[in-house]
Amino acid sequence: MPAFYLAFGIVFGWILSRSGAADYNYVQGMFLFTEFQMYGIIGVAIAVIAPGLLLLKRRGIVPSTKPRHRGNIVGGILFGIGWSLTGMCPGPILVNVGEGKLYAIAAFAGVFVGAGAFGALYPRLEGPFGLPPLKKK
Amino acid sequence: MAIFVPSCDTHPVLILNHIAPYHWAIAGTGIGVLTLVLLTVARKRLGISTGIENICSLVIPAPYFRRESLVSTHSWRLPILLGLVLGGVLSAVIESGTWSPLWDLGIFDIAVGWGPAGKVLWMFIGGLFIGFGTRLAGGCTSGHGIFGISNLELSSVVTVLSFMAAGVVTSNLLYRVILGF
Repeated sequence: MPAFYLAFGIVFGWILSRSGAADYNYVQGMFLFTEFQMYGIIGVAIAVIAPGLLLLKRRGIVPSTKPRHRGNIVGGILFGIGWSLTGMCPGPILVNVGEGKLYAIAAFAGVFVGAGAFGALYPRLEGPFGLPPLKKK
Repeated sequence: MAIFVPSCDTHPVLILNHIAPYHWAIAGTGIGVLTLVLLTVARKRLGISTGIENICSLVIPAPYFRRESLVSTHSWRLPILLGLVLGGVLSAVIESGTWSPLWDLGIFDIAVGWGPAGKVLWMFIGGLFIGFGTRLAGGCTSGHGIFGISNLELSSVVTVLSFMAAGVVTSNLLYRVILGF
C-alpha cells in the first residue's frame, strides 16, 4: 500500500508542477486577478469531486469532516498571507523542492518551524480558539 | 509585465522549464479524479498540510505530535509527501533531461529583485505563516479548499474565504500598492 500512496503523490505532484499551481507567477496571477488558471483548476476539481462524493456517500463511503472553530478564520488569514508571500501552498512547496527551486527549501523550513510551534503551543491555543481537546484529537 | 495585464490569450510560461502549463480543465479534472480514487480505493481524505505534522512527529517530542491519531497516519501521509517531491523531480528531469538547482522566482525577480539570501529570508518567513496558519485552520488548499468545499463543510467555507481574502490583500499590497505596478 505504501507504493499506492507514493504513486498518488508522484502523479499529484506532477500535475501541480505542470499546471501552474506550483508556479509563483500563476499564484500571484490568482491573487492579483490577472490569471484565471488557478480558479479554473480548483473550480473544475470541485466540480468533479462534489458529485463523486454524493455517489460515494450513497454507497456508504463517508469521509471525515473538519471541525469548525475560531482557528478557521485566524489560521486561514495567516495561511493566506504565507501563500501570497511564498507563492506556494503546502503541496507545491514539496513539489518545488523536487523541481530544484532552492528557495522552496527555506519555505519548507519555515513551515516545519511554524507547525512545530503550533504543536508546542497547542495546550495554550486550545481554549482561546476552541480547538478540539488534545486527548480527543 | 504581461502578467499584470488581464488577458485571455497570453499566459506566462512555467518558471521551471519555460513551457506552457496544462489547460486548467485538464489539471482540475486530474486532481478531481485523483482525489476520488484516494477516497474510493484507500478510504483516505485528501489533505497535504496534516502531513507536515507527521514530519514534525518524527523529530519533535511534544505530546501534540505524539498523539496516536497522528502517528497512525505515518504509513500513508509520509509516502504521499515523498511522492510530491519525486513528482517535482520527474517534472524537472523529463522536460530538460537533467536536474539543476534554480533560484528563479518570476515576477518577484522583476519587481523586487532580491538575491538568494533575501529570498531565503522571505521564504522562511512566509513558511512560518503557512506552517502555523494551516495547522490552526485545520487544513490548506487541498483539505479545506478542494475536499472541504466539495463536501460542503462550513469550516472549509470559512477557512477558504479567510485565506483567499488574506492572499488577495497581501499580493495587492505588495505588487500594486508598495511596488506600484
